[in-house]
This record gives sequence, structure tokens and C-alpha cells, in this order.
Amino acid sequence: MHMQATSEYLFLIRGVTSYEALSPDEMQSEIQKFMSWVDGLKNQGALKTGQPLFAEGRVVTGSKAHGVSDGPFVETKEAVGGYLLIEADSLEEAVEMAKTCPVLSLGLYLEVRPVAERCPLMVDEGDLAEATA
Amino acid sequence: MPADVPPAQADREVALIADHLFREEAGKLVSVLTRIFGVERLQMAEDVVQEALIRALHTWPFHGVPANPAAWITQTAKNLALDRIRREKLLRSKESEISDFSERWSSQFGAGEVPIQSEIEDSRLRMIFVCCHPSIPEDAQASLALKTLCGFGTGEIASAFLTSEAAIAKRLTRARQKLRDDNVPYEIPSGEDLGDRVDGVLKTIYLLFNEGYKASSGESLIRKELCAEAIRLGMLVAQHRSGDRPRTHALLALMLLNSARLGARTDPAGSLVRLESQDRSVWDQETIARGLRHLGLSASGGELSWAHLQAAIAALHCTAKDYESTDWRGILALYDDLMRLDGSPVVALNRAVAVAHVHGPKAGIEAVEAIRNRDSLESYHLLYAVMAEFEVQLNDFDAAAEHLRTALKFTETASEREHLSKKLHTCGLHRQA
Repeated sequence: MHMQATSEYLFLIRGVTSYEALSPDEMQSEIQKFMSWVDGLKNQGALKTGQPLFAEGRVVTGSKAHGVSDGPFVETKEAVGGYLLIEADSLEEAVEMAKTCPVLSLGLYLEVRPVAERCPLMVDEGDLAEATA
Repeated sequence: MPADVPPAQADREVALIADHLFREEAGKLVSVLTRIFGVERLQMAEDVVQEALIRALHTWPFHGVPANPAAWITQTAKNLALDRIRREKLLRSKESEISDFSERWSSQFGAGEVPIQSEIEDSRLRMIFVCCHPSIPEDAQASLALKTLCGFGTGEIASAFLTSEAAIAKRLTRARQKLRDDNVPYEIPSGEDLGDRVDGVLKTIYLLFNEGYKASSGESLIRKELCAEAIRLGMLVAQHRSGDRPRTHALLALMLLNSARLGARTDPAGSLVRLESQDRSVWDQETIARGLRHLGLSASGGELSWAHLQAAIAALHCTAKDYESTDWRGILALYDDLMRLDGSPVVALNRAVAVAHVHGPKAGIEAVEAIRNRDSLESYHLLYAVMAEFEVQLNDFDAAAEHLRTALKFTETASEREHLSKKLHTCGLHRQA
């Protein structure tokens, strides 16, 4: 059995923000908090990458009539504002990291998704060979 | 966890943004964008600036603070403004609107996006005159200035004026509507109007200052910041040729001289310390010097406004070594002048204190009893506190205690209550002796 010390988890930052209600001073303070949190992850060696996402995109469906439309819109609860790719030992550890994210107090939520590095049903030829040797 | 984390990463500190940078940039940019879009689109200017800051909040934590944060915010605001113009369906000719925008932007910021300081200050001064336009209700003027010029949030303004956020939001909405309805132009008044308009601005600035000055400890920090904002606005007015008048300098002098003493007004426990007991070594001498300089600048033109007189009184206090050696005769003479201009009961009460210092406590009592329209002072705790003080000096502790008990009925803050209770206790001790 292949043991992996760490796995990857995707943090999706979702939800409706209360940014509009913040004063410039408060926003500055939130940036510092968020930056500290991201830096904390970097210093732990847990952060692999991360990016914010702009809202002005397109939604592409297979429908012939309305295949491409503007969206998604930030007002929706499902809107994704950004992502972070994290390395952690377990889902529990990843969740603990997510719990400390400052944006949670601004009305946003984090979705924590394990990245499927190997399909569990797929078996290495090498593994098979070992097993049958 | 991987043991080979590069040490550089581990040592990296979170880049700090200068204190209140967002607030200051917001104030600056709202003025500039209002100049470009017009007063009737003030809300749009505010929205664009807010959006630019949200962009920063969204991206800086991932990409790091830019080398020049102010320039980043400015550039982003510009791009967002252009986006707005493109999206606005009502515009007949977007191309000309866009080129107008770019032209007006360049006149503020130059071709290289480097702000032209004098142009920016010009826009900000226009903004002050807009906020303090006579058609805006007086209670809304200071709020509008704080929101648009000083970059405060609605909640912060509510804390500053000890009212609700909803009340402030309503005030601001009505003010913006008034600006649209009355077609208030984005300009610096000229000619005959200028004097009165400057007076209006100074009055609002002073209102702002007083809210901050009377803030007691335990109240939000924002309240005390009002003094600094008021001074900043006063400087803005004074530095422009249209606002550079004796009265402006007099108000600046008054605000600087008063704020220089703020540090000594409360003790470490947070209670109020009266002028007579303040530790004068804590007074900010640099600010006093600035105040005196503006007092000097106010001395031209031969006018003697309420601001001149109040500033001169403050100067006499600030330059006195201690309470006893203060030039009370000089202060009394100034109060006599002030009474001729503004014979309000509160001024008369302050004058009575000066009378007592010059002519004794009996004269002080007579001066209080001679105050016209005294009934407006009936629930003013300081009236009784002052009388109590005179009675103590005359060794009539019964009368003093009586006045102090009345005063305690009307005090509004915990620190005042504490101060007066202590005095009442001392009176009690004297009566027993």
C-alpha cells in the first residue's frame, strides 16, 4: 500500500460578503487579517497556490438557445470568490486550518474538498505485479 | 509537515499598510471622481471608490501589498469608473463621455498617473464647499464631510455622533438628494458669496471638532479622531487662497490650542481632569506652537470674530505656567469682548469664572446671578459646579454641597459624576471639621 504523508485539499471561498458595509478603515484591517492568515499557511508550508476570482465571467451551458450568459453573480450564495490549494495530513487538519480563516466573520464560508490524486478504483500495473508475484 | 521550509518564507513578515491609508485615499478619490462625474453622481463616485477598495481586499492577501498601494487604488478606481461609464445605458454618447473622463482625469493626475497635488487639493476644497452648502441641513453637513472627504464609514460616523447608523444613512441620502435637486455646483464660491460660505464651512468644522473634544474616555476612539479630522479640514481650507482668511487661521489656532491639551484632560483611570489640575508637562508643545503661529496669522485684517477671541483665550491658558499664574485679567477682557459678540449664557458662565479669578468669588457669584436667560442653564451641571466652587472659596460648605448635589443630578458622563462626587465628599469633610 502506498502511504502518502500529505494530501491536497481545495478551499473554495464562497458566499455573500458584507464588504460593502465595511468602512475603508475596517477594510484595511480585514486585509491585514486575511494576509496574516495566508502568510501563516505559507510559513507552515501548507499553501501550494491560491488566487482570487473576479465576478465578471460567463456561464456556459450546452443549451442551444442560451449557451453562454453573463454570470455568475456575486449576490448568490454559491458564488466562488477565490480558491486556495492546501497541503495537509488529513481532512480534519485541513478543516482546522479553514476554521481560522478571517473571511468567515464577513459572511463567507469555506468549502473544503479533498483533491482526488488517484482514483481509488484504478490499480497500478506495478501493484498488480507485486500482488501476483 | 515538510521539514525543508525555506527560511526566507518562514521569516517573511506580513507587509503593513500605512495607518488609515484606505481612509485617506478614499476621501481623496471621492473628491476627484465627483469633480469628474459631477455632484449629481456623488453616490456613484462613492460606490466606485468602495469597489476599488474591495478589489484590494480581494486580491492583496493573495498577491501581496503592491509597492505603491495608493497608486494601485487610484488606478483601480479609474478603471472601475471607466467600466461604469461603458455600462451606463442612458448615456447617448459613451465615446465622448469616456474621452471627457480621461481628459479630466489627466488634469488631476497628469499623464503618468502621478497626482498633481494642487489639483487634488482644489478638488477637495470644492468638496468641502459642496458638503457645507447652505441648502444642506446643518446636521447633515458634518456627516457628509466625514463620509466623502474623510473616508469614514456610515457606522463610524454614527459612533462619532452617538446616533444610529440608520439615522446617518438617512441624513446622507437626503443630503445627496438635496445636492441633486438644488443643482449644487462643484466649485469654490467667489466674490461676495465667498466670505459667508467660508464662515459656513468653518462653523461645520468647529462642530466636528467639538464633538471630538467633548468625547470622554470609554467612548469609541473615533470620537477623539474627529479633532484631528477637523484640523485636517481646517488646514485644507487655510492652504487655499480662497480659504486663507484671518478667521480660518483663528479657528485653526483654537482647534490646535485645545487639542494640544487633550492628553492631560483625562487621567490614567479615565476620569476627567479639570484645567486647574492638569499636568501641563503633558501638553503638546509642538501643537501649541502651531496654534500660536496660526493665531499670529489671524491677526491681520482687523476683524475680531468669536474664533479670534476663543483662540486668544485658549492661547492665554496654553502659555501660562500654571493655573494660578494665568493671565486672568487678559482672559476676562477677552470674555467681555466675546459677550458683546455672542452673549450666550454659556459664555457668560465662563466669564464669571474669570471674574472670580480677578475680583474674588463673591464677584463671581454676582456675575452668575446677573446672567441673562439663565433658565437655559437650569439643567447645565457646570452652572452648579461653578457656583459650588465659589461657595467653597467663601468657606460656605453647606451651600457648596447643595450646589454639588444639584450638579450631580444633571451630569451626563461617569467621569464628571466621579469628579463632582469627590468634591461633595471633600465638602462633607470640611463641614464635619
